[in-house]
Amino acid sequence: MKVPLSWLREYVRVDATTAEIAEALSVGSAEVEGVARVGVQGEPGLFRVGHVVEAAKHPDADRLQLTSVDVGEDRPYSIVCGAWNFGAGAKVAVALPGATLPDGLVLERRKLRGKVSEGMILAEDELDLGGDHSGIIVLDDALEPGTPLADVLPLADEVLDLEPTGNRPDLFSVYGVAREVAALLGGELLPMPGSDPQQDGDEAVGIGIDDPEGCLRFIGRLLRDVTVGEAPLWLKGRLRRSGVRAISNVVDVTNYVMLALGSPLHAYDLDLLHGGLVARRARKGEKVRTLDGVERTLSAEDLVIADGERAVGLAGIMGGEETEVSSGTQSVLLEAANFEPVGILRSSERHSLRTEGSNRWEKGVDPYVAGQAATYATQLLVELSGARWTGAEDVQAELPKPAVIRLRPERASELIGLEVAAEEQSEILGRLGFKELKSGFRVPTWRARDVTREVDLIEEVARFKLADIPFTLPRREAMFGRLSRDQRLRRQVEDVLVGAGYGEVYTPTFVADGDLRLPEPLSAEAAALRAVLYASLLDPARRNADAGAGDVALFEIARTYHDVGGELPEEHWHVAGVADGGFAEAKWAVEQVYAALGIEPGYERTSEPFLHPGKAARTAEGWLGELHPAVLDGTWSAFELDLDALAEAAPQVVAFAEVSPYPEVRQDLAFVVDEDVPAAEVLAAIREAAGGLLRELEVFDEYRGEQIGEGKRSLAFRAAFGSLEGTLTDEDVAPVRASIVDALATRFDAVLRA
Amino acid sequence: MDTVAAVDPERLQQEALAAVAAASTLAELDEARVQYLGRRSALKLALRDVRDRETGMTLNAVREAVEAAFAAREEDLRRAELEERLATERVDVTLPAGLVGQRKLRPRGTLHPSTLVRREVEDIFLGLGYEIVDGREVETTRYNFDALGFPEWHPARSPRDTLYLGDETVLRTETSPAQIHKMESQRPPIYMVSIGRVYRRDDITATRYPIFHQFEGLAIDDGITMADLKGTLLYVMRELYGPEREVRFRTHYFPFTEPSMEPDVSCFNCGGAGCAICKHSGWIEMGGSGIVDPYLYEFVGWGLEEYSGFAFGMGVERTAQLRYGIGDIRAFWENDLRFLRQFR
Repeated sequence: MKVPLSWLREYVRVDATTAEIAEALSVGSAEVEGVARVGVQGEPGLFRVGHVVEAAKHPDADRLQLTSVDVGEDRPYSIVCGAWNFGAGAKVAVALPGATLPDGLVLERRKLRGKVSEGMILAEDELDLGGDHSGIIVLDDALEPGTPLADVLPLADEVLDLEPTGNRPDLFSVYGVAREVAALLGGELLPMPGSDPQQDGDEAVGIGIDDPEGCLRFIGRLLRDVTVGEAPLWLKGRLRRSGVRAISNVVDVTNYVMLALGSPLHAYDLDLLHGGLVARRARKGEKVRTLDGVERTLSAEDLVIADGERAVGLAGIMGGEETEVSSGTQSVLLEAANFEPVGILRSSERHSLRTEGSNRWEKGVDPYVAGQAATYATQLLVELSGARWTGAEDVQAELPKPAVIRLRPERASELIGLEVAAEEQSEILGRLGFKELKSGFRVPTWRARDVTREVDLIEEVARFKLADIPFTLPRREAMFGRLSRDQRLRRQVEDVLVGAGYGEVYTPTFVADGDLRLPEPLSAEAAALRAVLYASLLDPARRNADAGAGDVALFEIARTYHDVGGELPEEHWHVAGVADGGFAEAKWAVEQVYAALGIEPGYERTSEPFLHPGKAARTAEGWLGELHPAVLDGTWSAFELDLDALAEAAPQVVAFAEVSPYPEVRQDLAFVVDEDVPAAEVLAAIREAAGGLLRELEVFDEYRGEQIGEGKRSLAFRAAFGSLEGTLTDEDVAPVRASIVDALATRFDAVLRA
Repeated sequence: MDTVAAVDPERLQQEALAAVAAASTLAELDEARVQYLGRRSALKLALRDVRDRETGMTLNAVREAVEAAFAAREEDLRRAELEERLATERVDVTLPAGLVGQRKLRPRGTLHPSTLVRREVEDIFLGLGYEIVDGREVETTRYNFDALGFPEWHPARSPRDTLYLGDETVLRTETSPAQIHKMESQRPPIYMVSIGRVYRRDDITATRYPIFHQFEGLAIDDGITMADLKGTLLYVMRELYGPEREVRFRTHYFPFTEPSMEPDVSCFNCGGAGCAICKHSGWIEMGGSGIVDPYLYEFVGWGLEEYSGFAFGMGVERTAQLRYGIGDIRAFWENDLRFLRQFR
């Protein structure tokens, strides 16, 4: 909502600078995005009313006029001008040399085709008051030459860019903002603008409400002998500075009153209507061509304004093209109404059509303000288009009665955490238009949708006291603050992987395809929720490698989403990593994770289309391996583990075994086994055969060579034996060793190497 | 002209395609390529001598078909050779990392800046005695909107703003649904922070990304006040941005709080004098906050005035941007190691 300050100050008398007004609104009411200075920025004294003394064709240029203009100095100024819509005797707007135009151009005395030009005769676009450049501004004949132009035209202004929240439709009007400023800064709010002119006739309008749920109020007014033309510059300038395009005096008046009071209006060419107007739901398949030239097929939920034959507008959103006011219009039917917000919102969404009007209706406009809007618009139409006001009707469904809400001042102080005297609370509410009655506060009609409960009244008080609220902490009886086990585990995994050389990345939740598709995807690449993480890491890995980064190792901890047929997908935390280098890279990282969590993993050979067929393993919680070169060019390894499963598997308490005070016997054992016997199985078999004396066991070497033979390899193990009872000798261990050798021979055809 | 007539395009194509099919190694395929597409091949010679448009088009069609066949076959053979090579490379996946191949001695990795901030925020609130709650990311509209008092007209409910997965399921637009789940699971005192990914349908720009992280606090107890909210935020902001910081409220609107305020923190860069970071206002917008709307108590079946509480929400990325001076939010998702490795 753009609010020109000159307009605002017409409605509120307040002793505050623009900056103070902006600050007060920003803290107490709605965000102020900025304050723009618009129009003429430099010395305003160089803009004057000029009287054209002489005007004739430039001797050396067919398209230029050479004029002599009295600007209130002791001699007339010579000005070359390109416009022809005036002649000698006209009063015009002049900028003298040295003046700065709104677009930043500084005028200089200069020669045009050999003739000196001392300044410029201005068109409305050159003053940023309108868009017209077809001719210069012709001023009222009665003005004295030399009069400061600023006395005649709004040369400069400041514009507040206000962003009211959705609960404050009242702030989508200059008057509403003025009311707020008066309350915040203790200013005097002047009465709403507009008073009815003399009614000149008593014609029937023929207004009806067919759908009282969609349309609470419908006011129609007839205006005859309308002269459609341009609106005066003061009005066009205000529209322009409020971000609304000027169209014609009639349409501009409806927009001006909407901006002033917040209740949108519409004007129809009465002669193009067939009978009176009614607000009703559209018939299925009914069509209307709106003012933007689009033919719209309506649904039965759309509220329309219709004449006796057809829909002539999408109610509250946009009027119809067929009944639009045009230059030839002589009679106007003015509509001021009140529409129910949600229906307008839905229609606006359905037709992808948002307008200044729909933007207000969908937030909820005060139905009581429609009358004043009709009055003010009637007054301006009579004044600015020479119209006669010949008829009026105001059809109302049952308008909501203002609620009366009880306020316990002590409850307000309690919730705010600041003692605010009951009188002060009453005073604040009074300034905002709440009327104090015996039973409570009567909510003003323009706040009826937002303020419905005591707590809403408390907010009204609180927002005037925000700066005074002290800083305290909750007085707690007990404190419990701790990460959950899963959260601690995630931190642990993050730290382990960082220690292992992996850099953490955050990749998007979305992938191109998957079970859980978004009905309306963000893009072709972001169309479904991911079920795995590693795939999202491939692209960052490739891009970092391409950018020349060394040691590319990336990991991510995030959720994956799994359709299990329920209302909501299952969400699992996963960790995945991708690193340059072969199988050992992923193996190392995964080993580190398992070791940190105290889990003894089992690795098994596996196959996945995205993994190297000979270098892929799975564990109970996930997989690891070398990536298939077709997936990512070069040698890369990857892993992905389900963190929820890891948490499940991680022991909650450490299983501690007492350390023997007696020395251990350490022995190395090497066995020749078939190539396809996994080391882990041999380890397990040794453990099983060794029994209770075995303390530690690890595989420490793998060897292939001629002595071993084709298709075989040697695996070397280091074992430590010990007992809590006493020192073991080699003799004590010999039978254990023998049973190990036996067991491996039986199971794997393994041969002990000498 | 005679040489052109000597070539039968159809036969030439058949021959070439047969040769492509017959090649069983890349070397054989190369040989065939020279024969049928090389500079001295019948096809190329014929193409060179073409004099009329029709013959040219026919021969070019043949050339395109043959080239495509070669390319497809080459891809197949390369894939087959690759698979053959891979089949011979096999390791014992059960061996420890140290025995299954070379491994790099990598420099220490780094945590993502959002994780650094997340941990810092978590630790601040753990110190205040809050618990950290993760919550789900896919939520029902009931928990994402209805329970939080989003009116029917609220634009957040529109698929233009929110990512729907089904008619009544959405990717959460804020982490607040976790608060409702918590309230349904226990009575106050509740002191919690929910933290994680949230989703909005936004175009990707320097200031917006459709995925971001939020941390949202909720405190419900006996006699919680706006002053408690102000004091808590002051403490948190000073922890994050330095002991000199001040906090102020600006009035705002959120469906799930009443009164609702946006907290500002005094600019840590200029100390309040005005600079580019605070857009010359001296204050930096931090997020949203307010007193828990009684509607939420009603939703979970508590008395409207049994307790009072406050809630607030802020962006993790925004906090990281302010902490580290990161101008462009896309940097959090581009995963450029030159960026990420600076955060230690």
